[in-house]
Formats: sequence, C-alpha cells, structure tokens
Amino acid sequence: MVFNSLEYFLFLPAIWLVHYFLGQRFRWLFLLVASLIFYVSLKVPYLLGVITLVTITTYGFGLWIHRVEQLQQKKLLLWGGIATNVLILVAMKYVPFLTENLNVLLSLFDSPIKAPHAQLLVAIGVSYYVFQAISYLSDIYLEIEEPETHFGYFSLYLAFFPKLLQGPIERARDLLPQLKQKYEFNYDNMRFGLLLFTWGLFKKVVLADRLGLYVDAVYNDVHAYQGLPLLLATYAYAFQIYFDFSGYTDMALGTARLFNVKLTDNFNSPYLATSVADFWRRWHITFSRWILDYIFKPLQMSWRNWKNWGTAAALVVTFFVSGLWHGASWGFVIWGLLHGTYMACSVFYRPFQKKIHKAMSLEKTKVLKIWQIFVTFNLVCLAWVFFRAFGGWQALYVLKNIPEMHHNYVALIDNGWADFIRNNIMFGLDKRNIITLAACLICYAIIISKKSYDLLNKPTYIRWTAYYLLIFSIIFLQVSSKKYIYFQF
Amino acid sequence: MGVIEPLTKIFREVFDDEDITLSGEMTADDVDGWDSLSHVNLIVTIETRFNIKFTQKELLTFRNVGDLMDSIQSKLPS
Repeated sequence: MVFNSLEYFLFLPAIWLVHYFLGQRFRWLFLLVASLIFYVSLKVPYLLGVITLVTITTYGFGLWIHRVEQLQQKKLLLWGGIATNVLILVAMKYVPFLTENLNVLLSLFDSPIKAPHAQLLVAIGVSYYVFQAISYLSDIYLEIEEPETHFGYFSLYLAFFPKLLQGPIERARDLLPQLKQKYEFNYDNMRFGLLLFTWGLFKKVVLADRLGLYVDAVYNDVHAYQGLPLLLATYAYAFQIYFDFSGYTDMALGTARLFNVKLTDNFNSPYLATSVADFWRRWHITFSRWILDYIFKPLQMSWRNWKNWGTAAALVVTFFVSGLWHGASWGFVIWGLLHGTYMACSVFYRPFQKKIHKAMSLEKTKVLKIWQIFVTFNLVCLAWVFFRAFGGWQALYVLKNIPEMHHNYVALIDNGWADFIRNNIMFGLDKRNIITLAACLICYAIIISKKSYDLLNKPTYIRWTAYYLLIFSIIFLQVSSKKYIYFQF
Repeated sequence: MGVIEPLTKIFREVFDDEDITLSGEMTADDVDGWDSLSHVNLIVTIETRFNIKFTQKELLTFRNVGDLMDSIQSKLPS
C-alpha cells in the first residue's frame, strides 16, 4: 500500500491505536508485524523472504565482526557481509540488465552462445534496506557503533514501515535508540506529524501528479516537439520529481512522528543550491551522506597520493554507483556519470573560481549568487533529461532540440499567439489544468517564501483556515494518483 | 618529540593561515577552508613529514584534531 491510498488511511490510524493501547513490552513486536504486513500488502510475496534474508545475515555478520579480535578477520567478515547484501541487491535488480548487455557484447563477436533472458523482479524497498544494512556493518567494523543484540529491534530498524519503501536511509545509531524509547503520548508530535503528512500529501497528489500530466504530454512523445516545449517540460520534471520525492518524505517523516520517531529529513531547498556539490548537500540528503561516507571517502583516502586526480576519480566512481543504484539502465548510469563529471571538474576549477570572482569583484554579491543558482539548476536539469527520457537516444534528441527555438518563433509569426500558447506552453492540455497548476504553484511559493509552514505557531483562526484549505485542495484538486518516481529504486 | 608543534606548522601551511592554534577538540568546522579536498592535502602532508602511514580505518574515524594527534603519536618511534 502507498501513503496516498485509502488502505493506508485505514491502516495508519488502526496501527496507531493498537500501538497506543499496547504495553511497552510488545510495542516493538507489534510495529514489526505491522511493518511486514505493510510490506506484504504490495502483493509481492518474495519480498518478505528478501527482507528476512537481509535481516538475518546482517544481524549475524554484525555480531560476528564485533566478536572476532583480529583486524584482518574483521575486514574479511565486513567484506563477506557487504558481498552478501550486494549479491542480494544484484540478484533482485540487475540480472536482466547484465544479461541483456552481455548478449549485446556476445553478438558483437558473432558468438553463438547467448545468456538466458531474465525476468525483471519487483524490488521495492530492497535498495533502501540493503544500503542501511551495509552502513550498519561498516559502522560496527569502524567501531563507531556496537552491534544490536536484540534481533527484534534490529529487524524493526530495517523494516520500520514509514521508511521501508523509499527511505530516508537511516543510520542504526539514529533510529534504534528512538525505537527503544518508552512511548508516551505527545500532543506536539501528533499535531506536527499530521500536518507534515498532509503537507506531503498535498505536494504529491496536487503538485507532483499535476506537473506529471504536463511532463508526460511532452516526454511521452518527444519527437513531436522542438525548442521551448522540451525546455519547459524538463524544468517541469525537475519540480515534479522534487515534489514527488519530498512529498513522500514528508509523509514518511509525518507518519514516524506519530510514533515519536524523528526520521532524518531528505531535502533542504535543493534548487537554491549554488553548486552541484551544494545540490547534493540538499537533495536526497540521507542517500548522499551514505555515498559520501561509504563510497567516496574510502576511495578518496585510498587514492590520496594522486591528490586532486584521486579525488576527481573517486567522485566519478561514486556517482557512477549512485546512478546504478537508481536503476539498471544506461539513462541512470549517464545521469550519475554527469553528476560525477560536474563535481570532478569543480575539483580543478574551484581554485580559479575564487580568483575569477575576486577579479570581477563579484565575491559575496547577490548577482553572483543568483547566477550560481541559475547555472546549478540548469546543470541539474540537463542531467534530469537522462533520468526521465526513455533511453539515451531520446535524451540526446531532447538535448539536441532544446536550442532549436527558432522553430517556435517561426510558428509564432505564422500562426499567432493563441496557437503558440496552445502548442508550445500548454501541450494540448486543458486550460483548467494549466490554471490550477499555476495557481497551486504560486500558492506553494508564497507559503514557502513566507515560512508559513511554521503554521503550528500561528493563531488558531489562521491555522484552521490553512488546515481546511489544505484538505480541500487535496480532495478537489488531486490528480488520480500514480506511482511514486522513487519507488522503482 | 612533541606532535603539536610540527602539526601546527603543517596546518598553517595547508590552510594558508598563520593564526591557527590547534586544540584536541578542534574539528573541520573550526578551520576555514578545511573541506574534503584540503583534507587530502593535509593527510598526505602529515604522512610525508612524519614519515608515517595512516590506515584506512583510522582515516575514516578521526573525529577531531585530538584523534589525529593520538594516531600520529602512536606511530612515532618512542
């Protein structure tokens, strides 16, 4: 079940009530069973086997790494634990991609041998809890964390339903102590949790899904468009994916808060980033911290004698893995490599950047900041094209044809404004759709800019008006819900 | 041999700031320009000057300057 489904609106209050009335001793068990029921409701039975396997092996390896004395043995066990997890992930997500590419390679050499065709498995949630399992094992190896001895709490750490399907990717040291804490009813947490959930729901079903209509109109038929529409649809996609994922995260954080659990936030106004590195400090924060700590830093340190070249190579490899993590397709790989390349280039460019800004006396000026935000946003959007398009060729078509705006201009001269707006800005969508979308986005911008999301400290009449408006817009302005973009990862 | 004096000298060179005074609790947040790039420079310079080698595990678990100093101290001939 997904967060914006009727089942969940029945599931959550029921779970909360039972949890509330249960004694502290059984709460962990109840939450664990509830989380597994939540997972089973996806109607993919083997996923239960996968999470059980990851839980048992990681729990065992964790205790084992801690118990052995010799560093060499610890290292061996760490690699054993990581390899098991990675193998499970590869088996679930990458076998069809690997066999397909292997067959292409074999056909190049006219080989009569062919790898058998593999079925793509549904792997919702797997990459999230596998990453958490790897971070848990690494932290035990690095002795920044003690292994959890209580198998029940450990299982709940991996399976806790608010963050099971799509993160945030939590560290054991942040989440486990909260799961063990004695539950006491907290009015502020309830209020905040419910508001955050509703706000996330609004972002998802009103903003993201409506933007999705707009994006799909172009991206499902890119060859019918040139110039401006391709640019607008790409910008719209940047916001669709942001509202989709950050809306989901708000719902996850809101749900957890009802149980007095504070999950880590994943977003901090990512499109206001002034560099690609800054973007990654603001976008999918728990994931970027993970790749930074467990892939980038070890690589950077291993290659430290190559100085900047080592860092640059570590960045490219890290973001290559990040691309692969998102999915087994070349689009994601190219997306990752683009981000890796941006950051690798900045390693060499950064020393000059400061000097250039100083020479132009632009340091710490507003103009510079706006320019940097603009450039970063466009670099990020360029990479999003590969994320959204169906395959690399379609993405290249989009990038090649965005600059072809003179076609739009000629069409404007020939057919007039009305036609131009219908074809190049509205993409054949209903007028009401576009007006609603624009109105909702403007409302969102006003709310964010005035920091009105700090609603809980406002007078009662403002609060309740806002609650009603939010619920009203969710009910009447939602687009029939689709899947979450980040589910597939 | 004391570690703090030569280490201070290295810090001042790497971060190009003559006013740096080291303390055990100091972290990257306290030093202007101590980011992941300059960190690599710092580590490589320390390893060359002291003629020591840090392990991967040590490099990934330094929490502050104190941890760094302890590790250097433990690697120097007594």
